[in-house]
Amino acid sequence: MTTSSGPWSDCMPASLAAREILCVVNVREKSHQTRPNQTNKMDPSEVEFLAEKETVKIIPNFSLDKIFLIGGDLGPFNPGLPVDVPVWLALNLKQRQKCRIVPPEWMEVEKLEDIREQERKEKTFTPVPSPYYMELTKLLLNHASDNIPKADEIRTLVKDIWDTRIAKLRLSTDSFISQQEAHAKLDNLTLMEINTIRAFFLDSLNCMYKLRSNLQPGSSQGQFMDY
Amino acid sequence: MSDTLFDDGSEQDDIQEDVMTPAELIAKLEEAWLNEKFSPELLESRSEVVECVMEQLTHMEANLQRVKKGDAKASVHRMEIDRIRFVLSSYLRSRLQKIEKFFPHVLEREKSRGDSYPSLLSPEEFAFAKEYHANTESYLKAVALKRMPPNLQTVDMLKAVPEPCLDSFVFLRVKERQENILVEPETDDQREYVVDLEEGSQHLMRYRTIAPLVSSGAVQLI
Repeated sequence: MTTSSGPWSDCMPASLAAREILCVVNVREKSHQTRPNQTNKMDPSEVEFLAEKETVKIIPNFSLDKIFLIGGDLGPFNPGLPVDVPVWLALNLKQRQKCRIVPPEWMEVEKLEDIREQERKEKTFTPVPSPYYMELTKLLLNHASDNIPKADEIRTLVKDIWDTRIAKLRLSTDSFISQQEAHAKLDNLTLMEINTIRAFFLDSLNCMYKLRSNLQPGSSQGQFMDY
Repeated sequence: MSDTLFDDGSEQDDIQEDVMTPAELIAKLEEAWLNEKFSPELLESRSEVVECVMEQLTHMEANLQRVKKGDAKASVHRMEIDRIRFVLSSYLRSRLQKIEKFFPHVLEREKSRGDSYPSLLSPEEFAFAKEYHANTESYLKAVALKRMPPNLQTVDMLKAVPEPCLDSFVFLRVKERQENILVEPETDDQREYVVDLEEGSQHLMRYRTIAPLVSSGAVQLI
């Protein structure tokens, strides 16, 4: 805390000026991408960061005692014996060729085909095998495709499931807006899916709220958060 | 977000500190991070969590100093520290961003709060907000206001800076079952109705309706 308030406050006019320039830059940036770290927004990489906390089984080729991490204990690691570790560690070990990753049990062609059929048949969102199924598929297939049988088929299947769900999501946001609902239940939606519509959807809702409530600029309510 | 959550409210953190495991502490920090990220207004400062996490990190880093280079365990510890540090700084940064955005209102709320209510800001954030306010005012004066006609030389910051829009919609996940949450109608020809929030379910609704539940820890913004 002390480090963040100290140097900032000393140079306020300069940082304000910098901010005006930043605003101009941001207007330009906004047209093709959203700024990460903006309040109310989340970058997809941050969702991926959360997904990396999920555990996955690995088969190490080295031996190491228990590691006492702040977030919990890991190991012990013995060559050939499967052990549960967070995905971030599994990927790091894999990149250093220190382990083989055991794909999660849902990451299998038959199971995914069932899920895909179910997802296409149902009108509502069906439960997904993992709250981070998309991120995990992407991470594991990009870094450990040699440990996952039929990697290409799995990639296509998960993409199909994702596309079906996103299409449903678009339809439901559309009806949410056209019927001017005030509440929606979103069970079975994953964080990544919510995140793909978040910025656009919430901004649109705010815009419409502003138009509807017919507020004058300068009044104290319902204003936009940006300057 | 994690299984290691508390059953009771988050208000008695002073008592809880002693019984919290480091893993639970990290889960608390991540909760606070996501809530702060997605709520339109500045939430109550969780400085006790921040302090404990800082303590953990310093402690771990001190331990790592003593380990010789090339130790396999040390690199794993470093990676974990980096991840926690990322969450911590992202949390503090999003608070500072909100303070910069809403400083007159943040300070106003701080002024009008009774002694029995906990402060919204940590002491450092309070100092930052005050200084930001003073510097913004003197900057405005220096570049523009003093060249204005005398009757236009004052600016009411409370009116000049937009308030947080509490009517924004937010996504949330329910951690403790809630009954009879009133949903206000969007248009005049709709009627208000109540919903029950089941544990584990996810919803989209206006922040204003559920703001108290966010601060009590009954729902998690996502």
